[in-house]
Parts: sequence; structure tokens; C-alpha cells
Amino acid sequence: MVDFIQNCFDGVMLGSSYALLAIGFTLIFGVMRRLNLSYGPSIMLGAFVGTLIFLEFRAGSLAIAAATVLGAVLVGIYVERLCFWAIRRGAAVASMVSSFAIWMQLEELVTVVFPDRTYPFPPLMEAEPIDFGPFFFKVENLVMFACAAALTVALHLTLYRTRFGLRLRAVSENPDAARYMGINIAAVTFFAFALASAIGGVAGYLIVSADAQITPLFGLWATFKGLIAMMLGGMGSIPGAILGGLLLGVVEAQSIWYLGTEYRDLCAYALLFLFLVFRPGGLFGHALAERERLALRRV
Amino acid sequence: MLELKSLSKHFGGVRAVDGLGLEVREGEIFGLIGPNGSGKSTTVNLICGVFPVTAGEIRFEGRDITHAQPHVCLAAGIARTFQNIRLFGHLSVWQNLWVAQNALADRKSAGFVKRWFSGSARARDETGALLEFAGLAAKADDLAGNLSFGEQRRLELARALAAKPKMLLLDEPAAGMNMEEVGQLRERLGALREDGKTILLVEHVMELVMGVTDRIAVLNFGQKIAEGTPDEIQNDPLVREAYLGTSGQGDA
Repeated sequence: MVDFIQNCFDGVMLGSSYALLAIGFTLIFGVMRRLNLSYGPSIMLGAFVGTLIFLEFRAGSLAIAAATVLGAVLVGIYVERLCFWAIRRGAAVASMVSSFAIWMQLEELVTVVFPDRTYPFPPLMEAEPIDFGPFFFKVENLVMFACAAALTVALHLTLYRTRFGLRLRAVSENPDAARYMGINIAAVTFFAFALASAIGGVAGYLIVSADAQITPLFGLWATFKGLIAMMLGGMGSIPGAILGGLLLGVVEAQSIWYLGTEYRDLCAYALLFLFLVFRPGGLFGHALAERERLALRRV
Repeated sequence: MLELKSLSKHFGGVRAVDGLGLEVREGEIFGLIGPNGSGKSTTVNLICGVFPVTAGEIRFEGRDITHAQPHVCLAAGIARTFQNIRLFGHLSVWQNLWVAQNALADRKSAGFVKRWFSGSARARDETGALLEFAGLAAKADDLAGNLSFGEQRRLELARALAAKPKMLLLDEPAAGMNMEEVGQLRERLGALREDGKTILLVEHVMELVMGVTDRIAVLNFGQKIAEGTPDEIQNDPLVREAYLGTSGQGDA
């Protein structure tokens, strides 16, 4: 029982980083109704920018984190211009396929500039685990969880207490009406992308610094984790993304403990499969489905 | 105030609007009527920049807005309502108005941070008078999607007004309303005229059009077949023919 609870704690902390990735995915999907497969790779490139200034200048943690976030935002904007803005009148699947093409491009770019594949990434801090009764917590995981929680609260305030948030919600609710009410959809989309990339950059920094290393495969990993967590929660729903991320983290932590590390991804995919079969809308998917239904009725 | 010069819109071979010329003067309520498919809604959509104009010109207060995007048209001072209601169903009533008020904030304040991130503290109070006008003061916190049909129509009108436009385009605001609601709408439009708003009213409900407008233009097959005061239009033989499919001699 102690093991099970310990795994739940570990899972929630691991899952908090998945939740951030899923929030980024779901923000973009909510505004555009389009999938950005290049989301993970753009974060990966940001993390390599962080690696670069670490290797070249021996920069401190704060500078590396800032470089990672900035890199992720710049690459995110590049993806937005190329795969979404440039073909905004095209089919949604065209954006998805071109975001896949950019994914390959970004991976190639990193492989050319960083030929050694695996690079060290400085950990945020080195500290002994903290004991708490029968449980123990790794400090970097606690930091990860605290950062994720703070970022989620900040995002909530942005979405529900600011004009930008109102616009973003209006666009994801009814793009047509938003346009006639004077909202510049292109600008809202642009900033939503930048915001999602910044959140992804923070998540990327936390994950990579906890791993203490980075490879070009991190892009694939981040896209998969974010995508699965978003699907579990329900596409387009932010509370869903948070819960989906935490659920995925807990299931992975339990499977690592009870079945072994090699079963971690297998269990994650099995969970996704179960959801797709029995609850295809995800935990919070009904809200979006209802919205789509209303949108159709209006036509 | 609003000038259309030989405005045309062709969809493939269909001439939805064909060489239309109109002038709406400041402070008047101008009616645009015509049988189904005569190009009324297309005209409204062209003015708001929904789709590109095939030929012709649109000027608002002397400024060329022929190729302006919808959000630019709103910034220029033209707000609209929709034939099919398009509210933000998952936002509350006052937030629907807040969205529209933001367009105005954009025009006024210069700072980027202020434009994008300033808070909602005062926003709600500013919507009070409009909610009163629309008879929705008691429902300010309800979700727009939960309102009745008539309330949603009133909220659409209030939302268009929240953008503080100089001119309103109303696309069939009385569709689906009962006679009592049409009467209330007529009073509201009268009050707006007192306020100095210019209104372009596209409508099928003749009681409303004939009772509230200063001048009327009649469209048929995308062309203007008549223009004049409500009295003149009611007695125009061409109009009767377009509506009744006869020359009108039979009912003398």
C-alpha cells in the first residue's frame, strides 16, 4: 500500500509535466481545430538551444531555462507561420501533414548541428531526496510539480481575467462571430501559439533537466506524451489536459513499479486504447462535442 | 454615410448582387427588402467584408472599405447582427458584450500590454446600460446558450451596440419573433434612431419595415428595382410584381 501511494505521488509529479505538454497541445487545438504534430520537436529544438549556451558559455540554470523557452517560442512561431497561417484556408489535414514535415526538418537540423546524438543537460539542482514519514520525494520532481501548478494558475488567470483570454475563448467558441465582433483572428492565433510554445518550453526544460540529458528523440517523446494526455482528457479542454496528464503519469509510475520500466510505454498506449474504445471523447470531451453540435446547429 | 457604387458579387454564373447602387444617410433607418434570394443578405455580407467583392465600391464616411476585413469594418464603425444567431454560447451574457467592447478598447488605447492583458474589473459595470436596454439585466451572469430565442436575439443587438458603432446592419432581426416581440423591437429601433444611430435594416416582416424605416430599397435578382419612402414603395407596381408575381392590376 505504501508503494502504491508512493507511486501515485511520483506519478502526479511526473504527470504534471505531461499536463503542461497537453495544455500546449489543447490550446492550439482549441483555437484552430488543428493538430500541431511539430509541437514536441519545437520544444526539443528549444532545449538544444539551452544545451548550446550551456556547452559554449557554461551558462547558469536560469539562462538555460530562458534560452530553452525562447528557442521553443521562436520555433513555435516558425511552425505557426509555415504550417498554419500560410495554409489557413486549406484543409485541416494539410496543416497536420505539413507540421509532420516540419518535424522531420527540425530533427534533421538538430542532427546536423549536434552530431553526437546524446548531450548532457545540466540538472536544475542537486539535492538529497526529502523523507516524509514512509514516503520520499525527489527535490527536482517537487520543483517540477510546483512550476507546473504555478504555470497552470497563471494560465487560468490569463484566460479568465484578461482581454487576451476573453478573445482566445471567443475565437475557440465561435471563430465566425469573433471575427465580426472585431477580433483579429490571425493575431489571437499567433499569440496562442506563442503562449503554448512558452508553456511547452518550460515543460521541456523541467523534463530534460530532470533527465540530465537530451537527444533529438525528445521531440517524438514530447509529442506522444502531450498527445496521449490530451486525448485522455478530451481535445480542446484545459481541465481535461491537466487530468489527462496526471492520469498518464500515475499509470506510468505504477507500471514501472509493478511491471518494470520496459512496460511503461506499453501501459500508456493500452490506456489510450481503452479510452479510444470506451470513452473516445476523453474525460472532458463531452463539453467540446456539445460545442461542435451547437456549432453545427447554427449552420 | 454608407455608399455602394455599382456593387456586384457573382458566385460562379449566379449574379447574387448585380450593379447595386445605394446611399444610406446619417441618422436614418434604411430598409432593404426583396423576395428570398434577391441578394439582401449577400449585400450585408459584402459590406462587412465576409467575402471579396466581384466589382464595384463600398465607401463608409468617404473611406473606401471595399476590401476591408471584418474586424477592420467593425473598427471603422459598422457592427452587425446575424440572420442565424451567432452568440458565444459558453460565455456569460455580459462577457458576450465584453468581447465586443474590446474592439473599441483596441481603437482607443495605445499600449500593447494594456490592449491584450488589462483586466475585467470595470468591464462588467460598463455593460449595465446595454443590458438594461436589451431587458437582460437580470440575466447578466447566465450563459448565453441558455437564453430563450427572443433573449438571444436581444443579446445579439446589445452585443452589436457594445462595439459603439456609428452604423448598425441588422440582418432579419425579427425572424421568428411573435407580434409582441416585433412591437418591442420596433420601439428599440426607434430609441436607437433618437440616439442618432444609422441603421440598415434587412427584413421580411413588413409591419416592422413599413413602420420604422425612413426610406426603403427593393431588390430583385440582385438589382435595385425601387427606392423611396415606405408609402411610395407600398404603391409601386414593380414591387408588387416582384412580391406577388403579378403586375398588380388584378387587385385594383
